[in-house]
Amino acid sequence: MKILTTVKKVVDVELTMHVEDGAIVEDGLQYVINAWDESAVEASVQLKENNGAETTLVSIGGGDNTDMIRRCYAMGIENGINIDDPALAKADSSIFAKVLQKVYEKGDYDLVITGKQAQDTDSGQTGIILAEYLGVPCVSNVIAIEVMDDQHIKVSRVGDAGTEIVELELPAVVTVDVSINEPRLPQMRGIMMAKKKAIDVMDLAALGTSNDEVEGAIPKSEIVEFMVSKTRKAGQKFEGDAAEITAKVVDLLANEAKIL
Amino acid sequence: MAKILVIADIKQGVLKGSTAELLSKAKAIGAETAVVAVGSNIESLTPDLANAGSDTQYIADDPSLELFSAGPYASCVVDAAKQFGANLIWFGFSESGKAVAPRVAAQLDVACATEITDVELSGDQIEVIRPAIANKVMQRVKVNTDQLVAVVRAGAFEATEGITGTENVVKLSPPAPDLKAVIKELISDAIGEIDLVDADVVISVGRGVKDQAGVDLVKELANDLKAGFGSSRAMVDGGFMAHNKQVGQTGKIVAPSLYMAIGISGAIQHLAGMTGSKVILAVNKDTEAPIFNVADYGIVGDLFEVVPILREEIKKIRD
Repeated sequence: MKILTTVKKVVDVELTMHVEDGAIVEDGLQYVINAWDESAVEASVQLKENNGAETTLVSIGGGDNTDMIRRCYAMGIENGINIDDPALAKADSSIFAKVLQKVYEKGDYDLVITGKQAQDTDSGQTGIILAEYLGVPCVSNVIAIEVMDDQHIKVSRVGDAGTEIVELELPAVVTVDVSINEPRLPQMRGIMMAKKKAIDVMDLAALGTSNDEVEGAIPKSEIVEFMVSKTRKAGQKFEGDAAEITAKVVDLLANEAKIL
Repeated sequence: MAKILVIADIKQGVLKGSTAELLSKAKAIGAETAVVAVGSNIESLTPDLANAGSDTQYIADDPSLELFSAGPYASCVVDAAKQFGANLIWFGFSESGKAVAPRVAAQLDVACATEITDVELSGDQIEVIRPAIANKVMQRVKVNTDQLVAVVRAGAFEATEGITGTENVVKLSPPAPDLKAVIKELISDAIGEIDLVDADVVISVGRGVKDQAGVDLVKELANDLKAGFGSSRAMVDGGFMAHNKQVGQTGKIVAPSLYMAIGISGAIQHLAGMTGSKVILAVNKDTEAPIFNVADYGIVGDLFEVVPILREEIKKIRD
């Protein structure tokens, strides 16, 4: 089985964001692998270890992704592709999906695993749109993957009314939730070996496509401005005798907040 | 005039609140409204769909649609969108909405935006506002296509009192099943369970409740209040709470009138799912817990002591 996993470098959400003139202030920001993609990497490596698979990752945009890709190598991914092209600066989910379609078509993959969303945009679209472009089945929000045979996998998905068990015919796309696994920490041996591994860096031309073909000139949607979020203020906090302060808070809920 | 198609949010045979919220917003904009309902044995919901504020009801009612499958669901929405000539196609916040919206957008070759909190129309230009980076910033997004498929964030729009619509049913032919992604089983929530996203009060448990006994203790309070019962990630990973009960960036986004965080420290990923609540009450023994930074009312104390008192005091007030 050949597995393609997508990874994105994203801003660390633990940091405070400052917005100036409609843009996020870049100073002091740090970037990490998207947590959902890290789970996708772990899921791929587990499938390789348990069922035998060839694992490839692809990252698009975001400049130098060397450190992130080497970290994934150290986790057990075998091949890495980095697509970097200035034309992708304004790419939206559809354009990312079109680029991924090109990557997929070059590699004859059986399974694509993506994180279900990226923690910077929280959009959750790219994997699903990719499956539409490829005309292959797709299940999103997946928390377990089991290989049935060469042509089928069984996945568990968190749905509205409970957990759904779905059988998929390969090739297929699945987008995973972080709760699918606990990504491993790379070990020293893996880190040393990862340093020697090559990364296949290419622009759109090398990938065999162009800005026109991926409709990069006019994305379907574009961010025109960032704004500060409304933040909540800390309210009243009570310490002391549990019976007394709890009664006080219930009184406030009823008579001040008028909510009970 | 804009034409807005709202996807009816139906769970266990009941029409959820988001449908009326989205239709109210559509009417407030002055749009022509329609709703598309997909499921099995749902025709009896037609009056509810009209009363929620729709003037046309596209209904795909077929036994094959009983269990959710994103492919056939998307086909029904695309069919209704084309028949209606919709400019805007709105899903309420739900896992099915998040799964189907990008498919519909790809099939119509138009833009898709998730988690939107507002929409601005000027002439043919569509712009939306949405949070990003775990709610730390907001984005204004310009749409470069004539149509937009969007998933609306829970609590973004309010239902208008006294909104009405008219019954005008258009039956959709059942879609072909997805033979390459076959749902085999649904490990279902209990029938009649209060839905987290719809509930007026939501009570969630975190690591502080420790174990099943702690979960059960808080569940009694939730039962008293007919509250939705949610969870932080820790209790889901610990196997004490079901995955679809997780509130946060990766799970449900909720915006109830009252949110009670019991034994939840308040990681940024959890806050991203509940800071839209009107009033937040936090109970935590750690006075420095970040949850207190967003709580209107905070009780610093041992939840095992506080929760039974909370139940008693609330009962007293309600009697």
